[in-house]
Amino acid sequence: MSTSRVLIAFIALMLVACQPGSADHTQPVGDLREVTLALGYRPDVQFAPFYVAQREGFYADAGIDVTIEHHQAPDVQRLVADGEAEFGVADATDVMIARTAGIPIRYVSTLYQSFPVALIGAAADVPAEPSGLADMTIGTPGRFGSSWHALLALLEAGGLTEDDVTIREYPQFNQVDGLSNGDVELVTGFRNNEPLRLEARGIEVDLLTVDEVAPLPGPGMIVGDELLGSDPDLVRAFVEATAAAQAAVIADPDLGFAAAEEAVSTIAEDPEVARAVLEATVELWEGDGFADGAIDLTTWESGYATLERLGFIDGSVPLEEMIAPDVINRS
Amino acid sequence: MRRIGAGLASLAVFLALWKLATVVGRYPDYILPAPEVVGERAWRAVDSGVLWEHTAVTLLEVVLGFAAGATTAIVTGIALGKSVLIERVLSPYIVAAQAIPILALAPLLDIWFGGGLLARVVICALIVFFPIAIATMVGIRSVDPLLAEMLRSLGASGPQQTRLLEIPSALPVLFGGLRVGVTLAVIGAVVAEWAGASAGLGVLINIANQGLFDTPLMFVALATLAIIGLAFYGLVVIVERRFVSP
Repeated sequence: MSTSRVLIAFIALMLVACQPGSADHTQPVGDLREVTLALGYRPDVQFAPFYVAQREGFYADAGIDVTIEHHQAPDVQRLVADGEAEFGVADATDVMIARTAGIPIRYVSTLYQSFPVALIGAAADVPAEPSGLADMTIGTPGRFGSSWHALLALLEAGGLTEDDVTIREYPQFNQVDGLSNGDVELVTGFRNNEPLRLEARGIEVDLLTVDEVAPLPGPGMIVGDELLGSDPDLVRAFVEATAAAQAAVIADPDLGFAAAEEAVSTIAEDPEVARAVLEATVELWEGDGFADGAIDLTTWESGYATLERLGFIDGSVPLEEMIAPDVINRS
Repeated sequence: MRRIGAGLASLAVFLALWKLATVVGRYPDYILPAPEVVGERAWRAVDSGVLWEHTAVTLLEVVLGFAAGATTAIVTGIALGKSVLIERVLSPYIVAAQAIPILALAPLLDIWFGGGLLARVVICALIVFFPIAIATMVGIRSVDPLLAEMLRSLGASGPQQTRLLEIPSALPVLFGGLRVGVTLAVIGAVVAEWAGASAGLGVLINIANQGLFDTPLMFVALATLAIIGLAFYGLVVIVERRFVSP
């Protein structure tokens, strides 16, 4: 084969490889629409509403067949925007930043009424007010994500900046080890996870949360602009079914635990911790009162203003283009 | 001159194919940014000083990690090459350490070594160590036995044999190990930063990807790492040409 033919074959292969995937993955399977749900983290009891919705037929009743996939958190936004997954779960603060960066996604329903990230430390070390954070050493996974946003929001609420504290980064999310080791005094962490891990190590912990001092919206469901525009009924059916399953888990955590136990094999290794995580997660879902996934505009406005002041977003994309509250409210 | 021309032509083809992929695939910037988008983002990152701030940290880690890893590896490689007993005792540990994914071990190393520059240099040195140690050992053992016999007959001591014969004979293979090692040093620095750091190109990748959703900036950081790798590789080749005759 001549060199030119090899070159042409190579370019042809590249062109074929570069063809975009199908923009619409929603295929009818029997009577059900097949869709993909992209979740961050890993299979875990905190995703119990999705397992319940699958197991108990909430999705099937809504005419949907859901495949759950797990990805790294920032990939979820890109996959949903690109139509590779129809639905995803993302931090609201990340949605604001991603949308401002030009990623066409929208937050359509709330999963966590309370912001799940807090500053955590030994009870004696946690200040009562954010202003007490001055000169403390704080461990966090990195200068990104909801943990970083919450930390800066708390510092700002206390009249401080990151220059007033010592930050130590744990990109592998092992900041709890840093706290146990005495390398840091406080860590950012999820209220339904890190406190339980620290208490299991015999450390009596306390929390400093953002809810009262600098309200930020919690994680929720996201969809791509394209799907929201072309098939709002599918989006509504999905978020309503998810909210119904979540309400069922709140009313009966055993139902959620049983579904999670079936879906996540590792729960069997330490079911008591998993149950404790679920109970703590239910509290965060409920917040001041479970609202069937409705978006709290006041909290979003507060979070948007906070992120703009902190420089994460520049205000070029208005709040109205980041959320779609009517998906739930119209039902 | 011809070599530079070929390099530029290769770069032009690479950029053209990259551009073609973005046009044909109709990828948005957050999936695959076009070369000119990355170029424009690189300009802004240079202009703001962000790129240099992170590049300087990674460069320091690469230099120190490579120096520490290569020095330890060459000494160990000589010992392995000269003593079958040492090889039998140490080899299983060296090979086993190489088989353990450093990504899994790095967070622990970060905590053990206090999480500062020392921890990152240690992680980087560990990644660099294996190919250079093995190359040195193989090089030391590749000595012509007739030459070794001749030196011995002339009354050369053990250290003299090592200095005058074994190390010079090992140089071609050793430099092969150094070429691999220096590119691994760049990866090592990034892995170390992913285990815990406040600055560096690995940190910039995380911030761009996970914090800012700024894919072009992530490509800028990746391209900078590639350039650092190429530059250090070229430096090793230049040094090699001075010490090893073709």
